Amino acid sequence: MVLVSYISGGVIAIFLGPPLVTVPATSTCEIGVTPADPRFSSTDPVFLPLPGISTNDTHQLLLFSRASNKQWKMSQYTANDNNNFFNNSHSFNTVWNNYIVTDDRAQLLTWLSPLEPNLRHRDIRERRVSDVGEWMIQGEEFRRWCRLDGEGEGDKAVLFCSGNPGVGKTFIR
Amino acid sequence: MLTSHDDSSLVVDKLCDQARGQNTLVTCFYFDFAAGMEQSAISMLGSLLKQMVSRMETIPENIWRAFREQRQFISGGRPQLVDIVRMLQVITSSRPTFICIDALDECVGVQRVRVLDSLKAILEKSPTTRIFVTGRPHIQGEMGRRLAGRTASVSICAAKSDIIGYLRARLGEDEMPDAMDAMLEAEILEKIPENTSET
Repeated sequence: MVLVSYISGGVIAIFLGPPLVTVPATSTCEIGVTPADPRFSSTDPVFLPLPGISTNDTHQLLLFSRASNKQWKMSQYTANDNNNFFNNSHSFNTVWNNYIVTDDRAQLLTWLSPLEPNLRHRDIRERRVSDVGEWMIQGEEFRRWCRLDGEGEGDKAVLFCSGNPGVGKTFIR
Repeated sequence: MLTSHDDSSLVVDKLCDQARGQNTLVTCFYFDFAAGMEQSAISMLGSLLKQMVSRMETIPENIWRAFREQRQFISGGRPQLVDIVRMLQVITSSRPTFICIDALDECVGVQRVRVLDSLKAILEKSPTTRIFVTGRPHIQGEMGRRLAGRTASVSICAAKSDIIGYLRARLGEDEMPDAMDAMLEAEILEKIPENTSET
């Protein structure tokens, strides 16, 4: 079974592949819509394309829309070629609070780290002048370090670029 | 795996170019004295992990599992350092990874010890991980010891050609070009590089 987990405004689609699909039980993939997608404002189930999943066979799609905090409305559809979905056995209510519906990529990422360090990088990048420091990445030390073919079995896996304050280390890296 | 390209600089750019179209992950972290305890070992390694995970199409099952387990508790604890290192090991051992760390000397005391020990633990599990570190020279000995001699080093001093290139670019952006004449410009391009390259 493939869980297609993109959820917001209350829609989650759980995709049940054909019997012989060999996908790990709870692998996830994002469907190509964002929370700003107007389709999420609908209270009706929405059909969503399923990237990366072959549509050569018949699939079943279960679509969940949020009825309340703990209640999800489940609709079952069958898909044939070309991602056309047909309403199969429409709409029965179920309480769906013991499954993965709360999994959310964004929440997981925040859980891993609340830091958003990208702001400073942009600033440095904008202040950097092109070609300055090229000698560093053309140098033998650097080229040997970033080769990943296992030469020397990753012996010197760390490259330490040292310098006193103000020489421009930050701009180099 | 493509990596985002808007958050990087020279080395990171170079690595991203090299990684394009491949399965390689490029991540970076920037230490800063001013950030203080906000930049502990756990938040730094957590940030690396977050960058890696956010660039993966499929989040590894062990990370989902850890996340779900934690959610069962009302307090919803954050991952511990040991958990983060374990998750990093799983990812970095499955694909080539570059980790760039700026100003490691600005991470101090026990936090730096934890960072280095964690990096060592990651390298032990992952032969295709490369770590690029910048910092002041005084941490070189500590890095050598903590990373079990796996460190090569290169010393940065601003090359004269770099300084001239930088000055030219800045002079080109001069907002008051009338105040500049050829002689003053020539003097700037001569004197400043001379004085700075002595340091």
